[in-house]
Amino acid sequence: MSVLRVAPRTAVVLTLASAAALATFTWPFFVPAHPESTARTAEAPLVFLVMLPVLVALTLAELTSGGIDSKALAMLGVLAAVNAALRPLGAGTAGIETVFFLLVLAGRVFGPGFGFLLGSTSLFASALLTAGVGPWLPFQMLCASWIGLGAGLLPARLRGRAETAVLAGYGALAAYGYGLLMNLWFWPFSVGADTQLSYVAGAPVLENLHRLALFTAVTSTFGWDTGRAITTAVAIVLAGPAVLAALRRAARRAAFGAPVAFAAASDRPTELTAGVRRDGAAGAGAHRVQ
Amino acid sequence: MTDAGTTADAGRRPARWSAWWLPRGLHPGAWWLWALGLATAASHTTNPLPLALLVAVAALVVVRRRGDAPWALAFRMYVWLGVVIVAMRVVFRIVFGGGQGEHVLVRLPEIPLPEWAAGIRLFGPVAVEQILGGFYDGLRLATMLICLGAANALANPKRLLKAVPGALYAVGTAVVVALSVAPQLVESVLRVRRARRLRGATGRGVRALRGIALPVLADALDRSLALAAAMDSRGYGRTGAVPAGQRTITGGLVLGGLVGVCAGTYGLLDSAAPGYLGLPMLLAGLAAAVTGMLLAGRRVRRSRYRPDRWLPAELLVAGCGVAAAALTMLAGTVDPQLLYPPVSPLTWPQLTPLMLLAVGVAAAPAWLAPPPPVVRVHRPPVADPPVPVPTTTSPGDRS
Repeated sequence: MSVLRVAPRTAVVLTLASAAALATFTWPFFVPAHPESTARTAEAPLVFLVMLPVLVALTLAELTSGGIDSKALAMLGVLAAVNAALRPLGAGTAGIETVFFLLVLAGRVFGPGFGFLLGSTSLFASALLTAGVGPWLPFQMLCASWIGLGAGLLPARLRGRAETAVLAGYGALAAYGYGLLMNLWFWPFSVGADTQLSYVAGAPVLENLHRLALFTAVTSTFGWDTGRAITTAVAIVLAGPAVLAALRRAARRAAFGAPVAFAAASDRPTELTAGVRRDGAAGAGAHRVQ
Repeated sequence: MTDAGTTADAGRRPARWSAWWLPRGLHPGAWWLWALGLATAASHTTNPLPLALLVAVAALVVVRRRGDAPWALAFRMYVWLGVVIVAMRVVFRIVFGGGQGEHVLVRLPEIPLPEWAAGIRLFGPVAVEQILGGFYDGLRLATMLICLGAANALANPKRLLKAVPGALYAVGTAVVVALSVAPQLVESVLRVRRARRLRGATGRGVRALRGIALPVLADALDRSLALAAAMDSRGYGRTGAVPAGQRTITGGLVLGGLVGVCAGTYGLLDSAAPGYLGLPMLLAGLAAAVTGMLLAGRRVRRSRYRPDRWLPAELLVAGCGVAAAALTMLAGTVDPQLLYPPVSPLTWPQLTPLMLLAVGVAAAPAWLAPPPPVVRVHRPPVADPPVPVPTTTSPGDRS
């Protein structure tokens, strides 16, 4: 099920913004060799640093422009709080990352649009709580959002063990991808220009990829990224089924997308309020619980 | 300023000069503009002297004008991060550097790596020029980061969230919900643990974790439904009607702007593209898309409780940041060599009066901004909301 309907226009905006945002990560591969080009100068990374927050804001605004349901909004806030509370559990311990696990599961249950929003809000709330706002934040938010979006786009029919296995595999892949993208972003900033691990402007893409692979291997693959992939996959395998059940139960109780029927006040004279009645699973579910 | 004017205004805003020094939180946007101005100034020089002065200025203003909120302690973390960045740059130059430069400090043994590692060799001669280049570059980046850290320590993020444009209202609300729910999770964990003990469950390890984590998650999800009901009953989510024509315009602006951003990015990275397809296209696209977003946000109608206003102090603080950036850029046009001291004939970096003026202007908010509202009750620094923790495990001592 999908909590947040993604209209065709929103999908187009999401695709365009993602394409432009991908360039803010991968620009070292495409920088031309001419010294007079704008992208060679120190301004290019700064332009992208300014551009990406705007792109993220645009995408988030577009996703919520259809009028987000208050139940979906409250769910978003609460899950982001849980994610933000989970994040410091792993910080400081090399490679133990606890954010992606719930993000993948929630994206799976509540759909791609919700997953995208959850990725951004989780990392933003966590940055505010532990005061980690910096130029890296929009990039982290976007990467996490892509992970949530991808989890929502996995084939819907899977259930049971196959679902857990697919989700665990996706979680591990997403953890590696997140590490690689963040490394790619940090690469030009951390090494500077003139070492043998720096990117070479105008060089073939393969050579720069080789250098990036070396940089990643030297700095993070064996410690952070592998640890992150393992913790995410193991957490999904161990707690995935139970958490999925809890999330699905909440989704059924919330009855997202249940039609709201407005009845004239005279039809139901016993009700004091204006006669707003919610049909569908919410009422039925509540009665069943009682 | 006449007396009549003051008394007439007294109901709405504080009288100008007497209220200037009253402790109050400055508009968070002012602190961010000031910090971004400092960061811009830092980005325009690699001279270590003004960079060190800018770090000192940021630290001075933070120490004098930060409140006692939890985020006010974040500045130290950013300083350490800056130290790590500088160290990383220098170490990378030593380990992977090509060994350029004349003044060789020390010759480390070379370790050639095999062919699959692109023929890289580790260590080798370490030159002063090489290390200095890494140090200058790293110090510039670290200074920019520390300036942003100052904004983090000074500006209240919750008040900043109130100032988001209307189109981001829903996301901002979700973040506010997340920030307020997060402390409740601690209470929820304690409640579930107490319930487990009352039932005699003493398990530890993974099973206990599951027994605690899942009820806490279920509790949080149930709480979200209650919260949604409360929001509904208070009229959250009412939106004004938007005519179809305006919807088309905003959609067209956002889509067209994004296409412009994509084309601009392509033009920026492709040297064969004509010049107008680069930065100008990118900026025009961004402007169009942002205009569309702001227009779309007008359908959200909401009232604000005690909004932050832009009073003269706010304008002054923001202006100090902008002026510092402008003065540094001016210094760069006057004397570019002094802002980017060359490494290859080794020279001692120098200061110019313009740079000193920029640093002085940047430091002014340490005295010009109103002092922060600090509660002078001395609290222990840890355990922010003191939660009663059940210390004994015997089930009978609590009723």
